[in-house]
Amino acid sequence: MWKNFCSLFRKDCQMMLDGKFFLVTFGSLMIYTLFINFGYVNFMNAELYNVYLFDPQGTQQGISELIAPVTSLEELNTVLSEDVNGVGIDASSGTPDIVFYFGSEKADHHRADYALSLLRQDKQYTARTVGTNTPELKKRKEMSCELLFIEIIAVGFLGIASVLFKEKQMGVIRVHAVLPFNKSLFIVSKIMVFLLSDLIFAGWMTVLNIGFHDAAGILPNVLVQTAILSLIMSLTGFGCTLLLKDFRQFSLVYLVIAIFAAAPVFLSANTSVKMAWIDWHPFYHVYMGLKNACFGVPVTNPVYYLCSVCGIVILFQIVQTAFHKEMGKEG
Amino acid sequence: MRGLMYQLKSVWKDKFCIMSFLLPIIVALTLNFIGGIDLSPVSEFHFGVLENDLSAETVSWLERYGSVAVYESQEELITAINEPSTNMIGVKADGRSIQTMVSGDELDLFRQTADTLPSLYMGRENAKQISLTVLKRPDMMAGLQNIFIAMTLIVAMFMGCTFNAMNMISEKENGIDLVNQILPMTQSGYVMQKISVGFTGGCLSAVLTACCYFRLPVKHAILMLTLIILSAFTAALIGLFIGKFSESLMEGVVYIKIIMIIFMAVPLVSYLLGARGLISVFCYFVPSSASFEGIMNLADSNKPVIAKDIFILAAHGIIWFLLYLLISKWQKKHA
Repeated sequence: MWKNFCSLFRKDCQMMLDGKFFLVTFGSLMIYTLFINFGYVNFMNAELYNVYLFDPQGTQQGISELIAPVTSLEELNTVLSEDVNGVGIDASSGTPDIVFYFGSEKADHHRADYALSLLRQDKQYTARTVGTNTPELKKRKEMSCELLFIEIIAVGFLGIASVLFKEKQMGVIRVHAVLPFNKSLFIVSKIMVFLLSDLIFAGWMTVLNIGFHDAAGILPNVLVQTAILSLIMSLTGFGCTLLLKDFRQFSLVYLVIAIFAAAPVFLSANTSVKMAWIDWHPFYHVYMGLKNACFGVPVTNPVYYLCSVCGIVILFQIVQTAFHKEMGKEG
Repeated sequence: MRGLMYQLKSVWKDKFCIMSFLLPIIVALTLNFIGGIDLSPVSEFHFGVLENDLSAETVSWLERYGSVAVYESQEELITAINEPSTNMIGVKADGRSIQTMVSGDELDLFRQTADTLPSLYMGRENAKQISLTVLKRPDMMAGLQNIFIAMTLIVAMFMGCTFNAMNMISEKENGIDLVNQILPMTQSGYVMQKISVGFTGGCLSAVLTACCYFRLPVKHAILMLTLIILSAFTAALIGLFIGKFSESLMEGVVYIKIIMIIFMAVPLVSYLLGARGLISVFCYFVPSSASFEGIMNLADSNKPVIAKDIFILAAHGIIWFLLYLLISKWQKKHA
């Protein structure tokens, strides 16, 4: 049995090599790494609102250095229309009048009070820091985790289809019906190729983008979560390939998964927008598992792991049934 | 004309194309009629406080700025502050004033807010007497939602490339491409038909999507239509390139995916990061940047200035078209 598995595994690896799958994966790793190291980390930042003061008579004394003075009302209007998040203070009448474009009700309260607070110099206060991550490390971890998730969901899912549809159309699956070995081996060998490739990808992605020193502690947990996601996605991809007629139909399912399944997960997991139904979304939990592992707080709830194992077993059973059906088409 | 009808009929039968056609319209309808996803929490601050620590007056003062979550113990509060998906600011009582806590990994915006919060608290009485002038933003598209809308419209405009690319690839796979070569049809006639297929699909999809979102005055509607027409034309030309260079359906799908990702990511990233100078000029090499800028401009201001965007899109159309002709000629010579 082991020998059969090895030869199947070798054949699958060869097919993936020929199909340039590994090349695509390697290319994505390079692009992601370049993007994180030279793009995202450097550019992504947001500062508090700019405050502009128009005070021709100089009535306001002891103002903060953060206030940018303007010389006329027209100039104040122009800067505000260009920087719509900015806040203007018109002190031409002697008492400050706060002017700004509507943002949202609560943010506007803060903008007005903040602008006003800059009119007097208070002693500098620094908030207490209770976390261990630096802003750069957080950005690196966040983006690495997101790209890892996208890669496995999108590229891995598409990759299994590219290999399997070829075999399906060529009738290779049906040939397996008469081959003297355990039929599950065919599925297991394919899934293993993708699992290994995903694990290697995840390992490199973590080390290259989070840094070896910081990655060492979190890597085992990241790999466990990657394995769960990879098994779910490759089994889903396998099932879809067997159940759907051709690549055209497959790409529709792919589109639905990529847009409708992944988008709400990203929205809920990365922002404070929480949708009530998101707890029912299986990808949300897997993504959060991956993200928490990246941030060094791995999921310890046994229910999560139990559900993941059950999900993988059920998917495997479905795939096995579909595989037998596909083999039996000519049998 | 008859040829074109056949082409459109074959596209109509292709589920992939129909799905691509309907996708942006469905998203538009969903966003429009369900009211979209509530994105207001993104622009708010989030504060975490300890139970029985702050006075009710302080809590309601914090609620003016954002949401306040109450935690039973210090550990729970610190865990919530460190939670990576939020930028929560912890607030504790400190005699007559307050203390703030941050995780240390948030954007400068939140750190600065936490640093200045005690000062705002001390000056809260003064703040009540201040006079405010809130200027109205054009409320056609508010906050982050307009980015969603512009992105959906970009997808609809540039989805046109799917129609003719898929059409050309399936012709290649079925051998019709070879038959075409012996039919009495000129190369230019063939190109025109293929462009028309992509152009019609992209235009229709984008117009329907735009109708779901906008109630524009006539002058703006004409500008929007010009943007749509030019974008759909460029998309059809890109589809022509994809169709020409992909040998199999799978290859074509991969190319379309890559192009759509680039077309969505470049304008979005440059908009969010506020790209200026040379980088913004480079962004215009991707045609969707000009379309995105045009749509945002049309929706955001009463006097839209989109002549530059129209010019860039027109230039894209001409350059891509000439490039395609040149490549075809070169290939014919070396065939």
